[in-house]
Amino acid sequence: MLSVVDLTVRYTNQAAPALQGICLNVAGGERVAVVGPSGGGKTTLFRAVNGSVPVQGGYVALEGERVGEARGVELRALRRRIAVIAQMHDLVDRLDVYQNVMAGALGRWSSLHALRFLLRPSGAELVEARTALERVGIPEKLRSRTSDLSGGQRQRVAIARALVQRPAVLLADEPVASLDPARSEQILALLCDLARERGLALICSLHQPELALRYFDRIVGLRHGRMVFDRPVAKIEPEHLVFAS
Amino acid sequence: MHALIIAWHTLLAFFPPDLSPSYLRYVWLPVTQTVGMASAGMVVALCLGIPLAIYVGTRAPGWQGIVGMLSALRAIPDLTLAILAVVVVGLGPAAGMAALAVFYTAMVGKVFAELFLAAPQAPLESLRATGAPRLAVALFGLIPLTLADLLTFGSYSFECAMRASVIVGAVGGGGIGTELVGAVNGLDYPRATTLIVILALLVTSVDTLGWFMRKHPRIALVLFPMGVATMLLNPPQVFVLRHALATFAGMFPPLLSTKALAALPALLWETLEIAVGGTALALLLAIPLALGAARNVVHTAITAVVRRVLDVSRAVPEIVWGLILVVMAGIGPLAGALALGIHSAGVLGKLFAEAFENVDTAPVRALEATGAGRLPIVAFGIFPLAIGPIAVHTMFRLEWNVRAATVVGMIGAGGIGEALYNAQQHMHYQQMMAYIAATWLLVILADVAGERVRRRLGWNYVAT
Ligand SMILES: Nc1ncnc2c1ncn2[C@@H]1O[C@H](COP(=O)(O)OP(=O)(O)OP(=O)(O)O)[C@@H](O)[C@H]1O
Ligand SMILES: [Mg+2]
Repeated sequence: MLSVVDLTVRYTNQAAPALQGICLNVAGGERVAVVGPSGGGKTTLFRAVNGSVPVQGGYVALEGERVGEARGVELRALRRRIAVIAQMHDLVDRLDVYQNVMAGALGRWSSLHALRFLLRPSGAELVEARTALERVGIPEKLRSRTSDLSGGQRQRVAIARALVQRPAVLLADEPVASLDPARSEQILALLCDLARERGLALICSLHQPELALRYFDRIVGLRHGRMVFDRPVAKIEPEHLVFAS
Repeated sequence: MHALIIAWHTLLAFFPPDLSPSYLRYVWLPVTQTVGMASAGMVVALCLGIPLAIYVGTRAPGWQGIVGMLSALRAIPDLTLAILAVVVVGLGPAAGMAALAVFYTAMVGKVFAELFLAAPQAPLESLRATGAPRLAVALFGLIPLTLADLLTFGSYSFECAMRASVIVGAVGGGGIGTELVGAVNGLDYPRATTLIVILALLVTSVDTLGWFMRKHPRIALVLFPMGVATMLLNPPQVFVLRHALATFAGMFPPLLSTKALAALPALLWETLEIAVGGTALALLLAIPLALGAARNVVHTAITAVVRRVLDVSRAVPEIVWGLILVVMAGIGPLAGALALGIHSAGVLGKLFAEAFENVDTAPVRALEATGAGRLPIVAFGIFPLAIGPIAVHTMFRLEWNVRAATVVGMIGAGGIGEALYNAQQHMHYQQMMAYIAATWLLVILADVAGERVRRRLGWNYVAT
């Protein structure tokens, strides 16, 4: 479904490339964890897959369509199929929860539709938002101010947004970074269930190796922008796990 | 001495104001025109400025070009635009509206664009990552992220538009401004006083309205019916668009005779003198006034009175002070500098007072703990702590006063403004255009120089 081929990314003001020669294939329904020390390039990889940073070499393709070459409407159509749950779950605080959730639909809505929704959301749209929030377990927050939510609740809203986007690929950047252990397990279980249910390719970056082992099919290690290993969970050795933390 | 006595007698001639029912009934129309012009200007500014700002804020292709265009447009003083508009669309509120619309479109567009560009990028990237189109990113991200600042600046610019609406009237743009010039030129001083009181009331009530608008943004919708009604009631007086275009085309190429060209540097210099003199006077007046208005320096019974004084001097625009001072101090740059000084003292006084009130309390407490009296605390604590903001505000005021100095020139205070106005009165439009271009360059130069100095000194501050 998603293929990353010999990808190189270099930020303009940096000497060393943030990513170099990355190759990765992920099938629909497959769950991949990306591990590695801070600054290893995990966030950069996700941004490149989504077309948010320009790539200097190689390419990313979604079902054969190249992300880097798409422009304007085409790029938007591709992005719509790749949902991102950002590291700091970047929601717009001032909006209500249902508005942040339905922002996932912006890729298929016209701007006029978006404006109409802000002024007067239709019943069907509110039902869709509520269904997504039910799936992540916080339906009662539908009309809360986003700024009033806890860290874990914000994470769930970000996942609900990704659900509304109806993507083929789901990228989650450290979705459990700021959560207690019990919450972390709930969120990862939720993401994995979703991937299975909807046949999504799930790529998730993590700092906890034991969670990576328990919830994912494959683990990829990134350090200094290079891919150090890419193995199914069954073939992971202890030294790989030391590296991850 | 003699001059002072004359000035005193002239001042007395302004009192008491003419409050007769017949006159009040008569000024009703100009008042509605002034309010309507300000509303119409803001309506156009919001309808054009916000889309432009969104275009820039989403960094759409060529956004830098639009920023440049808006900055260039904003450097043309409002009164200069009004003079141009009077020539093109004829005397009356239509000209005033046109000038305000252009000036405030540039102002709203530029400042909103700056606010959008400074918005946090992470939530915006998240929205773009869903494949959202630009406008949707603006609706769900840019606007909610910056809403508080947008409302503060929006209501502030409506206050400015109300003052500007009087200003553009002074050159024939209709409303109270036109009446005021008529009253002063007709030596009808009591009526001038009435008009100034009305103006001060208008500006302060817009100030209050702005405060409510920030709480309940929906109130801003009242601008629309008022603005649209004024536009419909005051169509441009030129019925043939071709005529307007021909008049405008006739202003090109800008041209000055060799004699006028030789006199140009002296005119520009005089304008700069008015600006610097006015700012210096304002600084001298504003510091004691601000100390008197700062609640952490003197008793609130005093601050309440001093604040009213500041409100009045700020509510009356430079050009209106100029009209009065030209009567009292005679035509010339002195009246211009005094006019700038009085208005700017009101503006700076308020800003300085806020700076005094916002100083870090810990060092001041430490001084109080030594048993120091009020005056040493101000001299050694509050004043030195507030010197940074005072310097920044004064710099901005100096920049603004370069603009304002060209404006007060038009009512006889000398400099390039006076030359510009005379050229228009004599219908020397090519010459007028040359002066407009010179004014524009002077203002841009002042802005750029100010920007340089601020950057060099590391002063960061959002320009309004
Ligand atoms: N916008 C940027 N401009 C310049 N350099 C950047 C930028 N973003 C990241 N980098 C650099 O790229 C490298 C990879 O960063 P990245 O954010 O991808 O790491 P990460 O693996 O996500 O780290 P963490 O675990 O801390 O989130 C780092 O050296 C970082 O300094
Ligand atoms: Mg990261």
